[in-house]
Amino acid sequence: MEKVHTTCIYCGCGCGLFLHVEDGRVVGASPSPSHPMSLGRLCIKGWLVGEFVGHPDRLRHPLIRKGDRLSRASWVEALSTTVASLRAIVDKFGPDSLGILTSAKGTNEENYLLMKLARAGLKTNNVDHVARLCHAPTVAGLSYAFGSGAMTNPISSLAQATAILVVGSNTTEQHPLVASYILEARSKGAQLLVADPRKTQLADLADLRLAPRPGTDIAWINALLNVIIRENLIDQEFIDARTEGFDAVRLNVSGCTPEAAEKISGIPAQDLANAARVFGSAERGAVVYAMGITQHTTGTDNVQALANLVLATGNIGREGTGLYPLRGHQNVQGACDMGALPDLYCGYQKVTQARQKFEQAWGTKLPDKPGLTALEMLAAAEDGRLKGLFIVGENPMMSYPDSSRVKKALEALEFLAVCDIFPTETSELADVVLPGASFAEKDGTFTSTERRIQRIRRAVSAPGQARAEWEIISHILRRLDVPADYTSVAEIMEEIASLTPQYGGVHYNRLGTRGLQWPCPTPDHPGTGVLHAEKFSIGRARFRAVEHREPIEVADNEYPLILTTGRSLYHFHTGTMTRRTSLLERELPLPAVEINLEDAKSLGIRNSQPVIVETRRGSISLEAKVTEDVPKGIIFVPFHFCEAPANILTAQVLDPQSKIPEFKVSAARIRRA
Amino acid sequence: MKAFLPKDNLVPMLTRVGRYMEVVAPIEVEGVAVFASWSGQSLALKDNPLLPPLEFFLPQRETIFRYVQDSGRYSFEEAAGKTRLIFGIRPCDLRALAVLDSIFGSPPLDQIYFDKRRSTVLVALNCNEPGESCFCEHLGSGPKCSDSVDLQLTEIAGGYVIETGSPAGILILKEHPEIFLEASRSQLLEKDELMKQAKEVMKDRKARSLPEMKEAIEKADWNALGRVCLNCGSCTFVCPVCHCFTIQDLGVPDGERIRCRDTCLLSGFSRIAGGANPRANIGDRMKNWYLDKFEYIPQRTGLLGCVGCGRCSRVCLAEMDRWSLEVRR
Repeated sequence: MEKVHTTCIYCGCGCGLFLHVEDGRVVGASPSPSHPMSLGRLCIKGWLVGEFVGHPDRLRHPLIRKGDRLSRASWVEALSTTVASLRAIVDKFGPDSLGILTSAKGTNEENYLLMKLARAGLKTNNVDHVARLCHAPTVAGLSYAFGSGAMTNPISSLAQATAILVVGSNTTEQHPLVASYILEARSKGAQLLVADPRKTQLADLADLRLAPRPGTDIAWINALLNVIIRENLIDQEFIDARTEGFDAVRLNVSGCTPEAAEKISGIPAQDLANAARVFGSAERGAVVYAMGITQHTTGTDNVQALANLVLATGNIGREGTGLYPLRGHQNVQGACDMGALPDLYCGYQKVTQARQKFEQAWGTKLPDKPGLTALEMLAAAEDGRLKGLFIVGENPMMSYPDSSRVKKALEALEFLAVCDIFPTETSELADVVLPGASFAEKDGTFTSTERRIQRIRRAVSAPGQARAEWEIISHILRRLDVPADYTSVAEIMEEIASLTPQYGGVHYNRLGTRGLQWPCPTPDHPGTGVLHAEKFSIGRARFRAVEHREPIEVADNEYPLILTTGRSLYHFHTGTMTRRTSLLERELPLPAVEINLEDAKSLGIRNSQPVIVETRRGSISLEAKVTEDVPKGIIFVPFHFCEAPANILTAQVLDPQSKIPEFKVSAARIRRA
Repeated sequence: MKAFLPKDNLVPMLTRVGRYMEVVAPIEVEGVAVFASWSGQSLALKDNPLLPPLEFFLPQRETIFRYVQDSGRYSFEEAAGKTRLIFGIRPCDLRALAVLDSIFGSPPLDQIYFDKRRSTVLVALNCNEPGESCFCEHLGSGPKCSDSVDLQLTEIAGGYVIETGSPAGILILKEHPEIFLEASRSQLLEKDELMKQAKEVMKDRKARSLPEMKEAIEKADWNALGRVCLNCGSCTFVCPVCHCFTIQDLGVPDGERIRCRDTCLLSGFSRIAGGANPRANIGDRMKNWYLDKFEYIPQRTGLLGCVGCGRCSRVCLAEMDRWSLEVRR
């Protein structure tokens, strides 16, 4: 039995683990005590991470659509068809009729090559990935506020905090290792404040629980700031020395009293005042947030509201303080870093400013106009402007809002290529399906939510004819006359390092088991744990006044409930991997809609009864789970289950700044089936 | 039979044995000691690896057989087992195997387990320097082997005192006389003295006697403990005595029947038809885990279900004190 050190593939924590290999198969996994963050611990998904690798459902051969079915094809055929189809579309409709959706499950090297493929190969900036559905507001919001759209501190820094505000994050289920540091701080006496409409495990353990009505975060966060300013709990020295724009915020929140916020958010004014005092007077305050903040039409403003809070209290740039956006995929940070975004190259260099640098490096002309975001690409496909799409390691049919519209958009395409490790709802619609390699079957790097760039190592061979995506993309690049003679992923990382200032000092032989936290600009730089310690990269951090706006949909007579969606501890995203893992699938084999006891009573719904949940987009049928963990007027559906896809129900309404859809608020109704 | 193995002869011993069976030993992979196949890598003998060698008897996942459908009939293919020598198993993990031998050995006999057990030679290493979280001394499972083992080694100045415990162990000594020396009386005394010291180290550690532990289990606030548990299952996956498994068929029409590790901390483990669950909340399941170790297994086997290796405390995501069972906050 061999043991290969690698990195977990589920959430953004980026835990270190060993894959156990016997006779060429993955037979187990165990935590790595030498990992600087996970320290020899794993969550249940991490322990079981090796199981899906050898699953019989894995895609083993390229497939090409012949009529209404997908037939087995050779690599030569599949790649020729792909390249010829993409070329034909460019010739007929121009390069911007193509798009690429890359994968937050892929490596940095793969994301870099895919964005290079879009820009240098296909000459379009239409490249995006799942960050558009999770942390686009963080990238936009924190880049503006701090100059860097990433977690400000290492995860372990949370253990030093004396007050922690957790907003819209079911941390114990979605980022268990982050939760363990929060619990460590709590047991050392830190005050824990949790804001979530649902009574999550962390909310249950909180010293003070705030349960806002979904979509009202700015109102109550501004109210915290209102109290903090009024009671002079601000860090004036910090504000004067290191920030700008505070006066506008001071003015803006002067009317946002806890009483006013209570009317909007439903959180008792007294609780808000207490929370403000706890956070404002903490020696080291930290703010942790996730999708509950970002997946709103006010996502970017929500992020700014939290940034205002940490800036006003001087809670940034020190151990135990900071703002902690929790990334949901193991490499969604890296995919953003690699420029799998329509307006940014790798290292967040703007398409509008850095084009010449990349033209020079890649020796080719590049498109100058920023491209379409993920949802915009689908809208363009729907109305015929986008003709071809290459989707790598993503399943928009399940993970994007308003599945019926997604389906219509994908079906309207002239050409759809999908590269994945399992057949998915999306690959069923493809013209060409390319079998990729799982994390156990290739080398590469992931960047965790704490900016830690770390290696994955090949432990076994890919099944059948499946190939590592970096090899597939290199091949397509070469066919499009872009030089891509990479013999290893380390070579690709050298190219990334030469073009990405934050990754300038990253080299495979430096990564070991501890990785490197960016920014790491030079080969002798040790990496950076705490950002913004001495100064902000933009000079002074920026306050920006933000105001509450109602979500696009509010409960009304026709749809009297608010539907909010999310994940569970035992499954990951669209379930392609966890639903093929025996213990996880057994633990949670079926979807259920969580509904408050009172709502259930008034609708005559009993626990475990089949119900139909409807919104203006569509309906799904599933079991009811009657609980007091969701407040009255709110229902919750996890989006893992193809049997009842939650995203049939959600809408494609976008935050105007970051273009993230509002997954967290849909007007809905429910009835017995 | 007792002998002395000079330090320089340890690797030659493993190399010679490795000619006719797979050698598994604690080796260093990326700076971490793990049990894995040894083929000359440097040995990591200081600490007991986080994962016990239990995985070589009850793997996290194993194929019981492959089923192949042909002309409407099924045929079954079983993989041939391996002959192994596991070097460096510690007394606590050895005691755990004794517990499992008793559990898997009671009818109906678990053939898959015993196939592996019978084809494995165990070479134990006694603990001169017990780890920080160890308390085997309090449970009588260390720091020196008291269970049946093929060979046991104790490190002394310049090498190891070897004691045989089975014909297989004696055979290794007889077949390679050139690498073993006779153990002198002073070397044997040195070994006894070192083992005595190792026991002393653990004497002062915070640990409870068995009656105290039972009392703690009865008194613990399981609801409060359940509230902080993060449901990671780690304590059960690292425990050398935990042995729950589940069986599944993967693939239609051809495929394989697999058996993989399970954990009683998941609600699906105790859920029954119709969705009812006799241990519906995690606190109840945690209590059951403790009761299994300190009540049920002792009743069934006469041996404690906890061997004092301390691994569950090291991996607990909620950082519970697994020993005091007190809720810190």
